Amino acid sequence: MSSLLDARSLPKDTVLSTDLAIIGGGPAGITLALALANSGLNILLLEAGATKFEAHSQNLYQGSESGVSYVPLDSGRLRYLGGGTNHWGGWCRPLDEIDFESRAAVPYSGWPFTRKEIEPYFQRAQQLVEAGPWIYDAADDAMSDLGQVIKLGDGGVYTSWFQFSKTRNGILPTHFGARYQNDLKAAPHVTPLINANVTGIRLARDGGQVDHLDCATLAGNGFTVKPRYAVLAAGAIENARLMLASDDVMTTGVGNGNDLVGRFFADHPIPRNVATLVVFDGGLAPFYANALTLPNGAILRAALSPNAQFLRQHGVVGSLTTVENDVKLDPFATAAVETTAEALGVDASHARAFSLGCGMELLPDPERRLTLSGQRDALGMPRLNLNMTIADDDFARFRLTLAELGRQLLAARSGMLHLSYSTRGEWLKAMDWGNHHMGTTRMHDDPKSGVVDADSKVHGVGNLYVAGSSVFPTYGSSNPTMNLVALTLRLGDHLKKVMA
Amino acid sequence: MKRRGFLTGVAVAVVAAAGGAAAWRFHLFGPYYPPTPYDDLLKQIADREPARIFGQAALRTMPGANAASLARALRTQGNLTALAARDPANGHVVEVVGWVVPETVARYAALAAAV
Repeated sequence: MSSLLDARSLPKDTVLSTDLAIIGGGPAGITLALALANSGLNILLLEAGATKFEAHSQNLYQGSESGVSYVPLDSGRLRYLGGGTNHWGGWCRPLDEIDFESRAAVPYSGWPFTRKEIEPYFQRAQQLVEAGPWIYDAADDAMSDLGQVIKLGDGGVYTSWFQFSKTRNGILPTHFGARYQNDLKAAPHVTPLINANVTGIRLARDGGQVDHLDCATLAGNGFTVKPRYAVLAAGAIENARLMLASDDVMTTGVGNGNDLVGRFFADHPIPRNVATLVVFDGGLAPFYANALTLPNGAILRAALSPNAQFLRQHGVVGSLTTVENDVKLDPFATAAVETTAEALGVDASHARAFSLGCGMELLPDPERRLTLSGQRDALGMPRLNLNMTIADDDFARFRLTLAELGRQLLAARSGMLHLSYSTRGEWLKAMDWGNHHMGTTRMHDDPKSGVVDADSKVHGVGNLYVAGSSVFPTYGSSNPTMNLVALTLRLGDHLKKVMA
Repeated sequence: MKRRGFLTGVAVAVVAAAGGAAAWRFHLFGPYYPPTPYDDLLKQIADREPARIFGQAALRTMPGANAASLARALRTQGNLTALAARDPANGHVVEVVGWVVPETVARYAALAAAV
């Protein structure tokens, strides 16, 4: 077993040649390196950080922000081996079929392929994130010993299911850096290089190929990587930064001939206490508020999600609403519940109330955008500015889903719902974010509408690909990690063919 | 019947009647609502107090509505329980300060508040 190579130990101006350079050692980069480990290709995995958190490396992520208040750019991600998985919550759920569709009511929506294209990779992705057997929306039966799903009338919302990456000593979830470090070391053709910051993607003069990568360490030694192929897997923020900053041949940045790199940035808003759920008979299965483990090791938690028909009919986007905490009703709320339950002929003397949280999908917005700022980091790289947006329409569409849930509870005479927010100010006050960075190098067949094509290849650059959720053109409401791992496995198969 | 038994019975009856009258007069077992022209509708609400509290908010969502107009509309519609159960299935729900409720429930509650 080899060890991780530290780029700080490389002699200055070293030139490393490789078949494939993977820029970024997060879930996408590690997945790709492992997927190609037995392909015979020589692979260099360039991780900008070390194997654990180091503040001086993390500081390279700092940037500025405008627009809606958002997480500081150096807080929502981690610059060391394993990347975002070092602080993820382990929540897994496959994207839905409708997430791939182009929908008239959702501007800029749609992937260049259907979900079927990545379905063959879901099982392997599930193994890599260590989320146990694939159950998800077949869990109503699997979990029936632990309780019944909420009774809802016919309509647009149903109980859907998350699975979770496994726990170790009670701690979720799988951290890719720690979990797969030994596998990377053991792979004979994979060289993991830590503290290796790529500072420039240098194209050949005609702009059609990557010629080499400029690299640097915080110790001061610069070096060069000459790859046959390169894959950007540094996350949706850093992928955009590197492409925009590499402007020596293409003056607008690599792959940015149509001014798309950095646009359509997305995250999942996670507003707290969006609604109060009242269950008339007080009985709510425990898997709504907590993740429960089945004997087969699968860890599941239920959520309430709009179905495809509702999404299409009402032009809403995805959301996953979860039960959070028990709440006590005030006298007015008690009056609302008693009046309604009595009218419905239901006994609500044992009613219980719960606050709801959610993860919601944003509409794609080209103005939600990363651009280079005038500031530079310790390596001389331009820092980023994020213009964060969230439209009233985003809230209004999610509110439709909540109202539908309320209607279905009444139709089933099982409960009722109170919607907490109706103004933009109220929503923004409750806002938190998932740190699920997506969309900045979006995928589209047409170079005028996307940075990468359906194979994740950068339009116009023959040997440069992008892995990770930065290619998601529509985001869905599912957490991205397991999905981006599946998409990366698909990219691995593609690269095996084109690089053979 | 012996005289003593008869007198005891009369005494119990008098005390019970007096107690009942006092309970009615002083509303010992709940709020007292004077008769209204809408009691044919309001009698469908078993407990008018929570309906009145909730109905105040419901009434504010119905500009121009008053007891007479609400009653007129409700009398054309039918039984509260049947309508309340049917409304959600037909998509007839409204929001009252964030609470999603059947339309008919909001109207009956508003009536309870308006009288």
